[in-house]
Amino acid sequence: MASNVKNSNTKIKRNTFDVDEALEEQLSIKDLKRVLDYIKPYKSQVFIALIIILIANFATLIGPFLVMQAIDNAIPNGDIPQLMTLAIIFLISVIISGLCVSYRIKNIAKIGQNALRDMRLELFTHLQQLSFDFFDSRPHGKILIRVVNYINTLSDLLSNGLINLISDLFSLVIAFGFMLHINVRFTLFSLMFVPILFALAFFIKTMQRKNFQTLSNKQSNMNAYIHESIAGIKTSQSFVREKENTDIFDNVQTDYRSAWLRAIGTMFLMQPAVHNVQVLATALIYFLGAHAIGDQTVTIGVVIAFIGYLGNFWNPIVNIGNFYNALVTGSAYLERIFETIDETPAVMDVPDAFDMPSIVGDIVFDNVRFGYEDIEILKGLSFNVKAGESIALVGPTGAGKSTIINLVSRFYNIDAGTISIDGQNISQVKLHSLRSQMGVMLQDTFIFSGTIMDNIRYGKLDATEAEIIAAAKAVQAHDFIMNMKDGYETEINERGSNLSAGQRQLLSFARTLLADPKILILDEATASIDTKTEALLQTALDRLLEGRTSFIIAHRLSTIKNASRIFYISNGILQEAGSHHKLMEIPDGHYRKLYESQFARA
Amino acid sequence: MDVMHWLWKNYVRPHRMKMVAAMFLVMVTSALAVTGPLIVGHIVDEVLEGGNLDVLMPLLIAMVAIMFIRMTIVWCFRMIFETFSQDATCAMRRDLYVKLHEMDFDYFSANKVGDIMAKMTGDVETVRHFIAWVVYSLFENFMWLSLSLIMLIRINVPLTLSLSLVAPILGFYAVRLVKEVRPTFADIRESFSTLNSVVAENIGGNRVVKAFAREDYEVEKFQKQNLDFREKNLISAGVWAKYLPVLDGLSSMLGGIVILVGGLFVINGYMTVGDLVIFNGYLWMLAVPMRMFGWLLNDFQRSRASLEKIKEMLDVKPKIPLEAIQTTEAIKGFVEFKNVSFHFEDDDRVAVLKNVSFKTKPGETVGILGETGSGKSTLVSLISRFYDAVDGEVLVDGKNVKTWNTRQLRDAISTVMQDVFLFSDTTAANIAFSNTSADMSQVKHVAKLADAHHFIEALSDGYDTIIGERGTGLSGGQKQRLSLARALLKDPSILILDDTTSAVDMETEYKIQQDLQKVGVNKTTFIIAHRVSSVKDADLILVLNKGEIIERGTHDTLMAKSGYYATVYNEQIGTQ
Repeated sequence: MASNVKNSNTKIKRNTFDVDEALEEQLSIKDLKRVLDYIKPYKSQVFIALIIILIANFATLIGPFLVMQAIDNAIPNGDIPQLMTLAIIFLISVIISGLCVSYRIKNIAKIGQNALRDMRLELFTHLQQLSFDFFDSRPHGKILIRVVNYINTLSDLLSNGLINLISDLFSLVIAFGFMLHINVRFTLFSLMFVPILFALAFFIKTMQRKNFQTLSNKQSNMNAYIHESIAGIKTSQSFVREKENTDIFDNVQTDYRSAWLRAIGTMFLMQPAVHNVQVLATALIYFLGAHAIGDQTVTIGVVIAFIGYLGNFWNPIVNIGNFYNALVTGSAYLERIFETIDETPAVMDVPDAFDMPSIVGDIVFDNVRFGYEDIEILKGLSFNVKAGESIALVGPTGAGKSTIINLVSRFYNIDAGTISIDGQNISQVKLHSLRSQMGVMLQDTFIFSGTIMDNIRYGKLDATEAEIIAAAKAVQAHDFIMNMKDGYETEINERGSNLSAGQRQLLSFARTLLADPKILILDEATASIDTKTEALLQTALDRLLEGRTSFIIAHRLSTIKNASRIFYISNGILQEAGSHHKLMEIPDGHYRKLYESQFARA
Repeated sequence: MDVMHWLWKNYVRPHRMKMVAAMFLVMVTSALAVTGPLIVGHIVDEVLEGGNLDVLMPLLIAMVAIMFIRMTIVWCFRMIFETFSQDATCAMRRDLYVKLHEMDFDYFSANKVGDIMAKMTGDVETVRHFIAWVVYSLFENFMWLSLSLIMLIRINVPLTLSLSLVAPILGFYAVRLVKEVRPTFADIRESFSTLNSVVAENIGGNRVVKAFAREDYEVEKFQKQNLDFREKNLISAGVWAKYLPVLDGLSSMLGGIVILVGGLFVINGYMTVGDLVIFNGYLWMLAVPMRMFGWLLNDFQRSRASLEKIKEMLDVKPKIPLEAIQTTEAIKGFVEFKNVSFHFEDDDRVAVLKNVSFKTKPGETVGILGETGSGKSTLVSLISRFYDAVDGEVLVDGKNVKTWNTRQLRDAISTVMQDVFLFSDTTAANIAFSNTSADMSQVKHVAKLADAHHFIEALSDGYDTIIGERGTGLSGGQKQRLSLARALLKDPSILILDDTTSAVDMETEYKIQQDLQKVGVNKTTFIIAHRVSSVKDADLILVLNKGEIIERGTHDTLMAKSGYYATVYNEQIGTQ
């Protein structure tokens, strides 16, 4: 971005739009087998499709035979009825082949689309298991392109490509059989060219693969930049960044363009390679054939027939070459897809995980250590929270307050120590059973597109309208909602961009309230809500907190003072704990100093 | 204007010389392709049957050489097609990209990120395929068709004419295919776009999904769209399955016509058997383009659907033009609102601002306080002209903002938006976003002013630490301070801080305020906040309620009034 502030020897742990993602070099057979796995469930349909293709091929082959009949017999004899018969048979063969084509299109589209649907679902489902790290460490556009665009590029490969491959292999074997039958010597000479073709194909493949990997990287970079540019457009517009952004975009696009031309340039080499080898092979047979005819070892008919079959031998090879080409191209995308599917979630259920029983709310941190990347945040943190207590976390920025609450929901795995709820080590229970009993409200409230009703309902999917309205009323959101165009049915834009930040926080509050969590976590959840609304909200909050264990991070004094206990966190450990009054009594205490420096000034 | 004409005029025409050259090469290779069968004919007639081995080698060499030359030319023209199709689509994508920056905020409320994304990636890619492949194929097939017709007519005119009986039927079905397949492509596009949006939203909201353990629900939501996308593709394939066999069959039918009609001609003495055989030999040259016709129509329709979407976006006329007026004088920072009223385009029932009037000058600070949704953010967004006032006037330096050059106006204003957007880039690059020519020491200087320096230094790579998209992984206060540093690096005449220190603790806020006072001497500063401590030193405090200014004055005059401000103040501070 701004090159003069970017250090050249940056340690890249995370990825940005202008950094390629690393990738292995080898095209592995394993990847291909995995592709076949997606087709496997549809193997009976594939089988039927193949038979249909064979019938169609046969029907098409009848045509030349009928023409021959007409020219050799019916026409010279002036036999009009026979000519008519031949024409009718021809018509029937055209109809049969048409029906086959129709069936084939429908069926193959179905197989291909089903396979894509399965693959997309698997990828998306897996994405849901991945932890924060995965999403935080790369531009979202790079994830998006894998689920949608990359999988789409495989459509043809998985449907037409694969089925044609099988039918081509079939034709190849048949043609080869006929060639052997006609003349063994010619066949052997023809085969001589196959290794040459293989060598050429291998050479092209190596270049092509590298070039397509680069291409997929550049494509991913470009998409990431476009995606981020759209998402951050308001910021760009407000800083009048058109020119700079467009310059960056031009660079990204130029990289993509040249990667494309290089990749496609090598891909286009395959066709000339096959055709040139084919013409050499044909020329050789003519040469041998002409001399053999001279020596009277073969007849003209044999040579002409052999050349005819040689065409049938090479055509499938050309097709297989094209398939191989598409495969090499597709593999640049496939490996990205498989890589994502294979990404192990940083946080996942242990093998014998069990459901967390209904939570009462006793929480124990025992000597918990945790760090992001190489910076240790918590250095042996220990505390006990009794069920129903509300805990306010205070301390300097970066002390790890947000980290603590993220650990309670097990959004990250701890490095050492244990965290237990009601005596159960949370690393032993199923994530879903743990998190579904927690209510987490973050400062960045994410609102989905859809109606206001849908958004609140996210907290409890089977909630009735009455429940939803009650929740909205409790958090003082009802009035503003009713003021909107369609009330609860008002459509919210993506990320709630037509709501103010405070309104979004109120909605997310209602959502959490509706979820009726056993443990409540509020991370700066009311920062954007005005004082008057907050005062009204306090009643709802008090009711919400009643009987639930809660953790609250806030900068408002009233919120902190209301907590049952205040934890002062710094240097990765718990420094002080107790009620506001108790902590204020400690002379030179951390909390007291904080209180005096912050709240007393006003 | 028709989209194809539009495409040609704006994107392809500049590269027409390349296109002409490529098409010329296509003609050359088509002609070379015809020589293949001729050479083989010679080999069979003269060498195999005639036994003349002397001409064998030259003929074989010619055969190999022609193939080699032809393949080389094919590679060349395909690369030319690829090159200029890239040129054209890169220009198109660039236009879309630039357009993004000119669109009104309203546009982004009405269009999802995923939808815009689909236009700039999927649709542009379809157009690329169209220019690189469809145009070339159409031309090549046209060549085949013409060549074969010339050959066939030379052999026998009536027989050729009888073949053309198929043409109207073919045309009829082709037109029906086009009509029926077109909406299916529009549906696929639409479904693709929605799928894109669903996934994009899920990725963006991954924290909420996890917090509520709603993975299953998300998968269900996704699967609905996934199935819809599959369905839309299958419907389209169904139309294909209906028409392609007909088009295919008609081209195969040519063979039948040749047998029947040609046979009758021969029997009745209008034609020789030899001519019939040769005629039949050239038939494939006619049949292949006819078969391709359907596929090309398919791609043609798909490209139209995409082109229409792209053109639609490029044709949007922003209500707030960026470059309509040229102004050069420097903006000093006087801001005045005269009876300003505002409501959003899509909802004229709700008045967001009503009769707002106030005045301020450089060096002054305006504090804005008010309930959630009372119009505070909207008010300041009118200064940068992200929206235009529905009634009344917004004046900067005494001139209506509409008479300033919008770019220049925005360039003089630095806004820290309430929704902080940070890019997945290094912290330093994020700060330097507002001023790319700044050097590292300037970046550090503003980071210190915004009290961000210490936490940045504590990150794993300091100023080189790459942060997640939108700043995920940073705390709310950290994000706010980074975006404050970004706004300060620009040294604007007008500084707008929308809820910028809400997630920062009070001690840090106090420090930041001291710093801001130092740099704010020549600036007009707007501070939106809920904390009284953030605004109490302002020269003018405005209290907004449902879009109206209900109180105005300084801290002291407002306290004396014992109105809303005083109540809030007491609630926040007086409790101790």
